[in-house]
This record gives sequence, C-alpha cells and structure tokens, in this order.
Amino acid sequence: MKLRKVAVVGAGITKFVRRAQETAKELSYHATKMALDSCNMPLEEIDSVVHGTAPDAFDGVHMKGEYLSEASGGWRKPFMRSYVGGGTGVFAPINGWYLVASGMYDTCVVVCEEKMSSCQPHPQGAFLTIFDHTTERPLGPNLLWIFALEMNRYMQVHKIPREQIALVSVKNKRNALDHPSAQLGAELTVEDVMNSEIMAWPVTRLMVSPTSDGAAAVVLASEEVAKKITDNPVWISGVGWNLDTAYWTNRDLYYPEYVEKAARMAYKMAGIKNPREEINVVEPYDPFAYKELHHLEGLLLADKGQAPRITAEGITARDGKMPSCPSGGLLGVGNPIAAAGMMKICELFWQLRGEAGKRQVKNSPRTGLAQAWGDLMQVGTVVIMQRGD
Amino acid sequence: MSKVKLPDSKAGKLAWKGDIPITSRYTAGVAGQKFFQALKEEEKILGTVCNKCEVTYVPMKLFCERCFAQLDETVDVGDTGRLVSFSVVYIDLDSKKVNPPQIVGLIELGNSQARMVHRLGEVKSSDLRVGMKVKAVWEMPLGREGKITDIQYFKPV
Repeated sequence: MKLRKVAVVGAGITKFVRRAQETAKELSYHATKMALDSCNMPLEEIDSVVHGTAPDAFDGVHMKGEYLSEASGGWRKPFMRSYVGGGTGVFAPINGWYLVASGMYDTCVVVCEEKMSSCQPHPQGAFLTIFDHTTERPLGPNLLWIFALEMNRYMQVHKIPREQIALVSVKNKRNALDHPSAQLGAELTVEDVMNSEIMAWPVTRLMVSPTSDGAAAVVLASEEVAKKITDNPVWISGVGWNLDTAYWTNRDLYYPEYVEKAARMAYKMAGIKNPREEINVVEPYDPFAYKELHHLEGLLLADKGQAPRITAEGITARDGKMPSCPSGGLLGVGNPIAAAGMMKICELFWQLRGEAGKRQVKNSPRTGLAQAWGDLMQVGTVVIMQRGD
Repeated sequence: MSKVKLPDSKAGKLAWKGDIPITSRYTAGVAGQKFFQALKEEEKILGTVCNKCEVTYVPMKLFCERCFAQLDETVDVGDTGRLVSFSVVYIDLDSKKVNPPQIVGLIELGNSQARMVHRLGEVKSSDLRVGMKVKAVWEMPLGREGKITDIQYFKPV
C-alpha cells in the first residue's frame, strides 16, 4: 500500500492536576481547542476525529468514547475511540496517522483524556478488574504488585541497585519544574526518593507517577494540507505497536520484548538503522522510575541492563546526547493515563520545532521517539517523529 | 447511575457521588473447570502443554496462544517451585495501609517454566531471596471451594 506522508501541525494540553474541577468533556474541549488554535484550524476543516481514553471505570461513565466525542470535535464527523490501556496515548495518534496516511482523510484531530479523580476512593480500585476474574482477582492484586515484581526481576537479573533507579525520579521531576502543565515537578535528591514511603518493595512513593486529571491533543494533516498550514511541520515517520500475552506471569519480566518488536516496526518504517545515533530525543513511558530504563532498553537505545549507566552518565539529561523525558515525564508532569502518552507526542512536536521553551533540549534534535506501554504489562506503542525538510 | 447521593460540596464546588451497578457471574471455563476441580479434589496444580511450542500454561489454558492448537495434554506441575520475584506490599487498592504488609511472589512451578503469582507466608520479608524454594500450603479439604485461594499461600522449604 502506498502511504501518504502525515504531519503533526498543532498541539494542545491542559494542566495535569490531582483533581480537576473541569469535567472530562471540559478537559477534552480545552486540549482540542488549544491544538486547533495553535495551527489556526477551524473545526470545520477537520475531517476525522480519534479519541483515546483508558478504562471507562476511571471517569465512571460507560461508553466514554461516545460520551466525549463532541468535546473532541467529533460532532457529526467520522469519530473513533482507540484504546490499549496505558499504551493508548501513543496508540491513538497511530490510529489518526493511518486515517490520513491511507488517503481516507486529509486531517484528523487526536485527543486523549483521563479524569481519574472521579474514581472513589482511589483509581487503583479500577485496576482490580483488569486481572483474570478467576485465577488472579481472588488474590486481591493491584498494579503496584505487578510493577514491584517486574522491577525486582529487572534489578535481580542485571544487579541494579535501587539508587540508580531513583536517579530517574530525580531527573524527571526536576525536568517537570519547567513544564507549565506539571503536577509534581520537584528538586529532589536520590536520598529523598530512597527514603520516601515504601509502597510495595522495591517501589517507593517517589518512584511512582501520580494519578491525574488532564487532556492533550494534536492535529494531523496530509502533506499537501500541512504545507498550507505551517512552514514547520513535524512528520510522523514511523509507527509500531505490539502486544504480548495477558498470561503475564509466563513472561520473563526483566525485558519488554513487545516494546522491542514495536520499536523495530517503527524504525523500519522510518528507515532508522542505528537508533542510538539517529534518535536525538526520546520520551519513553515512565509511570514508574524503572520503567524508563526498562523501556530505553526495549527501544534498543541502551544495551540490556545498561540504561541505569547511561542515566548516571548524564546521556539522558536534558543537555545530554540523547535527552530522555525532557518534558518531566509521567513522574513529573503527571499521569492521566491516555493523556500522559499524548503529552509525550506533544513534547516531541514542541522539541522538534524548537518551541519547548525552558525545556528545550540542546542538541537541535531532528528525530524523536515517543513510547507508551500498558494493558497487563503487555503492550508497546511507538511513534517516531521528524523535523520537516 | 443508580445511586446518586446528595451533592457533596468541597470548597463550594459541586460534585455528586454515584456508581455503575454491575455484578458479573464468571464461568471458570472448560480448562478452568478441570484446573479448579484438581485444585480442590486432588491438591494438584495442572497445566496444559504445547509440545510444538514447548510452552506450559498454568493455570491450564484451552489453546496455545502461539500456534493456536487446542491443548489436550495435561500435566501436573507439582506444588513446589522457585521464587522468581517478590514484593512486600504496604498499600492496598484504595491506597490505604496494609497491616501487616502482604508478601506476594512470582513462582516458577516444578520444572515447567510456567509461573504463577500468589501470596507468600511463613516467611519474614527480610529472609526473602530470589531463587528460594517454595511449596504450596493448602486449605483444609473441607474448606476448599475450587478457587485459587484453595492454596492459602506458598512457604519456603
């Protein structure tokens, strides 16, 4: 199939907060409106709409996609919801990309929203029902369990001390101080992270992203339309996604093979042969501190077990050779599930256009990669974006 | 929403409490029925084996996800295993403190390479080690219900 070139031409984001007064619809509206306004696109010029949002249980509204459609610009338009758990924020733009790349539509607005605070007493409760009803739920599992088991396995296999993992929290929360949407920017030390409350050993509170309310959106356009809208389009040059088994206990959790498969698919499409040299800025999914490291390895941007070392050496710092989570990531900006992945797409858009302000990386990046992850520790979603020329 | 309670106002901002009332009745399934019956009646942990893909599924599964063959070969993987990973959990689903903290582990059963998640007991958290041998502690026969909790927990041996 002959695919058309697709550009990101606009982006918008709300503040990420613990408890928003705005409803889910209002959050979606604000992000969508900001994305449209950023490229002076009136809604009537949008041909199609994709909405990404995680389990209905968070907002407490069944059929949340349909419920949020008009708040995402979907009134009387071809509208679709896309959803792969935590991977949604990078999966939704892939859906939008193929609506345009296929030639179906010239423009698409992609909106991701989450309002986790509706879920009482705590959004963790909504995760109980992602586990198998018969074999796992009677044990009362929660997400912290499986993250803790995975982190412990990763540490054991590579003999990684927790201090090196804590460094990711320090870096990302510091980066987030420069993000106007950030919920948890902070200047911290490794000791602060290590000494924060243990939630599920080896995970401490400052190694976990918060629950958040927020929304983010981008406008996609075909080459012909993009060139009329902006002199500075950012092309989506590669996409990839992959799912592993929901029999998550049967996998060796030390390495996310499904992320590698998603990355290889995207690298191939983008013509990237040597990702460590060609990816100039990366936004890996970091709901937990170790996940950034785990994902950098899965994305082939570090050897297995070596992501802690490149972090300690400053390679992934904002002024390093390959800045990772210059936005502040989920750890710092916040984690309204689907919107958090979309925040990473927005960040690449701004970084590649040189519009990231105080967050701007120093290596004048040409190519960036955003990745999200989710479902039952089983999905990897990857988008590669490239400055236009 | 079925139960919409009175407005719940914090700092003058209106909010309502409500729920989505859903109750489910989950069948154990064709493979699950055999698995849970063996758990309850024989104190056995059964898996199914795909010889072609060299994968054992525990709890047993009707089909191989890799080659899509229907699986008929059942194997008793034994009730001992090796601890592959563990966590000591201090926070519950509602973000409340768990006291005492709950210990959970990933257990590789027998020589099957199949792993299951379960609780650990009769062990101090400071004594937990990856690689330690563990064994299932079964609920008394009369107390068993054909549930995963018919195994109370795994303990070191």
